Amino acid sequence: MVEYSAIQQRGFHNTCDAKGNLDGFEFRFTPKYYKGLWFTQCRFGNVTVDGEVFDRDSLIFEYDGLEYTREELFDVKIYWQIRVPITVKVKKPGGLKLGYHDVSMDFGWVLNYNGEPEKEFDGSGLGNGGHMMGTENSRRMLLAR
Amino acid sequence: MSEIKKGQPKRGISVYSYQALLGKTMTLEDAFLEMYDTGATCFELLTSYIENYPNPSTRWIDRYWRLCEKYNLEPAELGHWAENHLHRGPAMSDEEVVEELKQDFRLANLLGFKSLRTKISCLNEICDPEPGWQSYIEKALPYAEKYDVRMQNEVHLPTTLHTPHIRDEYMAFIQRTGTKHFGFNIDFGTFQFKPTEGMTQSIWNFDDVSKPEEIVEFLPYSWTCHAKFTHMDENFEETTIPYREVIQLMIDNGWSGNLVSEYEGPYVFKAMDSPADFGIASVQIPDQVRRHQIMLRSILGY
Repeated sequence: MVEYSAIQQRGFHNTCDAKGNLDGFEFRFTPKYYKGLWFTQCRFGNVTVDGEVFDRDSLIFEYDGLEYTREELFDVKIYWQIRVPITVKVKKPGGLKLGYHDVSMDFGWVLNYNGEPEKEFDGSGLGNGGHMMGTENSRRMLLAR
Repeated sequence: MSEIKKGQPKRGISVYSYQALLGKTMTLEDAFLEMYDTGATCFELLTSYIENYPNPSTRWIDRYWRLCEKYNLEPAELGHWAENHLHRGPAMSDEEVVEELKQDFRLANLLGFKSLRTKISCLNEICDPEPGWQSYIEKALPYAEKYDVRMQNEVHLPTTLHTPHIRDEYMAFIQRTGTKHFGFNIDFGTFQFKPTEGMTQSIWNFDDVSKPEEIVEFLPYSWTCHAKFTHMDENFEETTIPYREVIQLMIDNGWSGNLVSEYEGPYVFKAMDSPADFGIASVQIPDQVRRHQIMLRSILGY
């Protein structure tokens, strides 16, 4: 079971490097769309926390125990099961301060109906599926670790 | 000329109706129990609701059949997508698309579905199909026959039954090939004649929607229809869609397919706005489906 929103508070915490120093944070994400998606059709955007932007190409995505970059996911012919969160790992030396944070992530997808096929075949955009539900996902979350 | 025997549509529910709650407060078994509570006898599933799609475990498949038996529900339709843009760059070849389709046909057959809602890639909001669809769908027909499934293009608002591609492309394809494995899922939203309160539908032209009598011509090519609704009032009426008239036409013209309630109203779209909205949706969505089933029962008499 996942929480009501696309961005999940459960799983939101700072991360450490091998020496135990805070080196970033992670959170879990599940698309708000009503169906699962092939990763080849997913279009990940930037993460923003309290106004600080983390470029989509600096993010690591973990699914089913394996880690991928955004670019690698274009070739991953695996079906992202509905309501199974992906973990988004963000590098930020020192991590985030404990307390509330406004976290957002852009996410789009390629959809085969109710719209023109994706124009930007290189994946530079957010696909053609966002016109139905939007590509912005945000949530105010409490960091406790 | 002999009189047409009255049809007896089966009363069912699309699990899509509960999509905003699935995996959040509702399991698949919860959805089956909800459906059982209404006396529905059949259901629509989407491929996405098959655990570990496209390779469900035998354990999941066994459990699925146990749910069907326990809650006395028959598989009606599997919603799937004829994907031809799975990768960056040009569209996939016919052979690649057919391989994807075969995978879903096999699954449908394994899970007992005789009809499919097949989404063919479109170019715009009225769902004019992307040129070339006839080629891969025709190549898939022998497999649809082999696995005993019927692909159905969904006629979904703002597409109407008189939108040119319905006749010029889909009906022309059926007539040219003579296939019994391609047809139409007529979504009742196509008959919706006014906007639903609380929904952004202002871009749609409610002056030019499908007229109830238009359905008659399409019934021989339809096995499952989405009984779409966006709001059921406390008197168990859907006030934006001429339900009684459309269903009477189906009965009078001998249609005995699957009529599955498909809720797609404001509670779904607001469910992720806030915890409070989600709480309301958790209660109202199952309530809306129950109301709709009461209406269908009243119209059908069973």
